[in-house]
Amino acid sequence: MNRRLTRVDELKRDIPPGRDLWPAISAAIEADKAAADAPPSMARRRAAWLPAVGLAAAVGLVAIGVLIGLSFAPQGATPPVVKTQTGGSPEMMPAAYRNQRDALLIEVQAKLSSMPEVERKKVASSLATLRRSIDEIEAALGRDPANALLQELFVSSCQEEMRALTAVRDSGSQET
Amino acid sequence: MKTDTVVEFDVALVERARRGDAKAFERLYRDHVGRVNGLCLRMTRNPDLAADCVQDAFIKAWKALPKFEARASFSTWLHRIAVNTVLEKRRGPSNAEIAVEDPTVHEEPTMTFDTPVEEEELEAAIESLPQGARDALVLCGVYGYEHSEAASMLGIAVGTCKAQLHRARGLLRDRLERGVR
Repeated sequence: MNRRLTRVDELKRDIPPGRDLWPAISAAIEADKAAADAPPSMARRRAAWLPAVGLAAAVGLVAIGVLIGLSFAPQGATPPVVKTQTGGSPEMMPAAYRNQRDALLIEVQAKLSSMPEVERKKVASSLATLRRSIDEIEAALGRDPANALLQELFVSSCQEEMRALTAVRDSGSQET
Repeated sequence: MKTDTVVEFDVALVERARRGDAKAFERLYRDHVGRVNGLCLRMTRNPDLAADCVQDAFIKAWKALPKFEARASFSTWLHRIAVNTVLEKRRGPSNAEIAVEDPTVHEEPTMTFDTPVEEEELEAAIESLPQGARDALVLCGVYGYEHSEAASMLGIAVGTCKAQLHRARGLLRDRLERGVR
């Protein structure tokens, strides 16, 4: 009954399982098909906006980080100008908002150039992170324009950014 | 080795299964289940656990079919899923094994024995090998995978896979010498 072998690769590769596994596999496949055909569940809708919630949380945290950074950083020297990230084209923002933000960015740029290097880098980095998060929300909105939650997050994130930019602009005047 | 005709037949079945044809997938299951079970059984050493792995692997394969690239071998892809399933089931502190071997060793092309051994004894000797060595021997020695393929399936470095195979050969020879002759 048992074969005699001289090589490992002579061992049989096919060993059927002790029971037919197809009925269980078939049942799982049918359940999978039924789930795919069903209308989107609450869980799936939640899965779609969960990343956006994460982004919004990140925006909030970075904005807080900007404010904290400004509160504790020392004032002093006047190093060379650094570029802040102004983000991509904020196509979804109203024109009035864009103009206000552009004007604010010029003032922030001037403020940053008067900050000590350590503080300037920290604030510029936080603002850039904030802008990246907004860009990601904007990109998500581009893929799902009708998503009310994403729209809300986008608006509140832009407001957070404006608050942070204003705080940076006003930081020197508060302390002097 | 599968012939071209068989591979083409697989491709046609896979294409039908990708479009949601469960009958085509059942045919793929019937054609491949023996080999997948053999692989899982040799890796787990437990028929019930092996059957669970096989079942999970086919369910995962069904779900992942849209991601399967037609130019790849369905059999290899399925084995990769099966190996991954076994590794997932195995994960846990009690099952951890660390491979510390010289990866620069040169291995022989095939594992041969001077005196023929009973198939059953050889299976028992393989079963007694440490996990890492057994995995490498099963994939490379029994199922004929290249080191790079086996290493990728197992999530280890190619050098580690070579070292494990070398270790497996040594241990297997010792155990067969002691047990068989």
